[in-house]
Amino acid sequence: MPDENKKVSRSDMLFEIVKAKYGDRLTDEQLEEVRSGVDGVEGLAAELRKVRLTNAVEPFANFQPYRGADNDE
Amino acid sequence: MNNDLVFTPIRQLAELLKSRQVSPMQLSEIFLDRLEQRGPNYNALTTLTRERASRQAEQAEREISAGDYKGPLHGIPWGAKDLLATSDGIPTSWGAAPLKDQTFDFDATVVRRLEEAGAVLAGKLAMIELAGGMGYRQPTATFTGPPRNPWNRETWTGGSSAGSGAAVAAGLVPFAIGSETWGSILSPANNCGIAGLRPTYGRVSRYGAMALCWTLDKLGPLGLTADDCGLVLEAIAGPDPHDPTAADMTFAYDDSPTEGRRFKIGVLKDVADGAEEPVRENFEKALAAISEVADVEEMEFPDYPYVAAIRTILNVESAAAFEDFIEEGTAAELTAPEDHYGPYARTSVLATDYVKALRIRGVMSREVDGVMSKYDAIAAPTSPRVASPIDEEFRKASPSPGPGDLMGGIGNGCGLPSISVPSGFSDAGLPTGIQFMGRPYQENTILAIARAYQAMTAWHTRHPEDALEG
Repeated sequence: MPDENKKVSRSDMLFEIVKAKYGDRLTDEQLEEVRSGVDGVEGLAAELRKVRLTNAVEPFANFQPYRGADNDE
Repeated sequence: MNNDLVFTPIRQLAELLKSRQVSPMQLSEIFLDRLEQRGPNYNALTTLTRERASRQAEQAEREISAGDYKGPLHGIPWGAKDLLATSDGIPTSWGAAPLKDQTFDFDATVVRRLEEAGAVLAGKLAMIELAGGMGYRQPTATFTGPPRNPWNRETWTGGSSAGSGAAVAAGLVPFAIGSETWGSILSPANNCGIAGLRPTYGRVSRYGAMALCWTLDKLGPLGLTADDCGLVLEAIAGPDPHDPTAADMTFAYDDSPTEGRRFKIGVLKDVADGAEEPVRENFEKALAAISEVADVEEMEFPDYPYVAAIRTILNVESAAAFEDFIEEGTAAELTAPEDHYGPYARTSVLATDYVKALRIRGVMSREVDGVMSKYDAIAAPTSPRVASPIDEEFRKASPSPGPGDLMGGIGNGCGLPSISVPSGFSDAGLPTGIQFMGRPYQENTILAIARAYQAMTAWHTRHPEDALEG
């Protein structure tokens, strides 16, 4: 019987998504490696979430509206 | 005469060509033969481009004979990392078995610019599959075989511009073009004992180059000396309407003498801690040497999760760049076992975490530039270790992430230029390297420092016995 009190980690949830999408093409051993990789990804994200930024801090990526040459016809 | 030409820096080769003591055809034949005969020793070559080289060399010969000399690259053979698109039916494999017959009907901007400068494309050079975009962990991650280091074939070249490093170090080409997303120019420069320049992000157009991470990818030269790198950068840099990230500025290489010039160099606190002993020793000796022409002081960068932010960006952009590879299961056809499953974990990054990484990137770029504005360059060991054994997983073998990765995270994350030049050798005869990292668009300053260092040392004049024989 599942333990309903057991807390599911964010890493567990993300791994389940990856497993649902690609699990049928991976061996158990490969899935273990993917599991470890997802833990790594989540570890990086946890470091980022510790950094507090104000609302005004924008992503450092430039978006510019595109306007091509005018069509005179 | 042939051997004398093989390990000759570009400037001297150019003088010989310009004065017609050596002909472009003669020079290209020497390097084409070396690539063909010795390239397999190091698994350095993907495709020999003899037909195209002969055509370009003949043209260079006609032009130089007619007095139409284009400049220091005119008639100089070179090799392209096999992620640069080339026309004429020459394959561009991206180092990946499933793409080994891939062709394009155009030349990458870098290839075109070098042709316009009169350089002669001698070969496409081996690389780690998809430039390491699937998370490889060991040197066998390419269908052309593990790239072997000319200093010791049982060690690896570094990657992912592996063939570019080996080919220059073994005298198979005078210079090569590599790419760096995170370490792929500096690592082979370090392991192979040559110079490698990672330009500022956007300095060189990436049009026609395989995309691994759109906001991290850079193209740059590997050569025998810092001066070689400067000469090549001038030819390949500049705006390009085909690449919106290419900076709207040209680059004029300032090769004026550095005598009388004094630099200010920062050294990250504890940067060599954890490095292998020969790396640490050689770095200290290099700092002592450079202090003849520079004030050297310890410094620190503000505390940010540099590595986590840039690794997150790399994970997301590489997963997006190779979405088809991942979704269609083509990754299973790659050579390295870890590349069969490596990309899947990268698809799990949440969009908010990616955007957070981009926001942090802006903050850290501004803060880092504030610190770097006090210096001409930041010096560090290029790598904390010498070349690892060819059959060893280098990621497991590496020391825990530390200052070396910090330099990579900051340098690539903030788009900063850096040059690596050899700083000595280990007792086992493997090269070590020192890097000088500058502010954006400050290539001339770090080139000047590297030239000044090379003027005081002779490490760059040593060449692998393996490549000198015969």
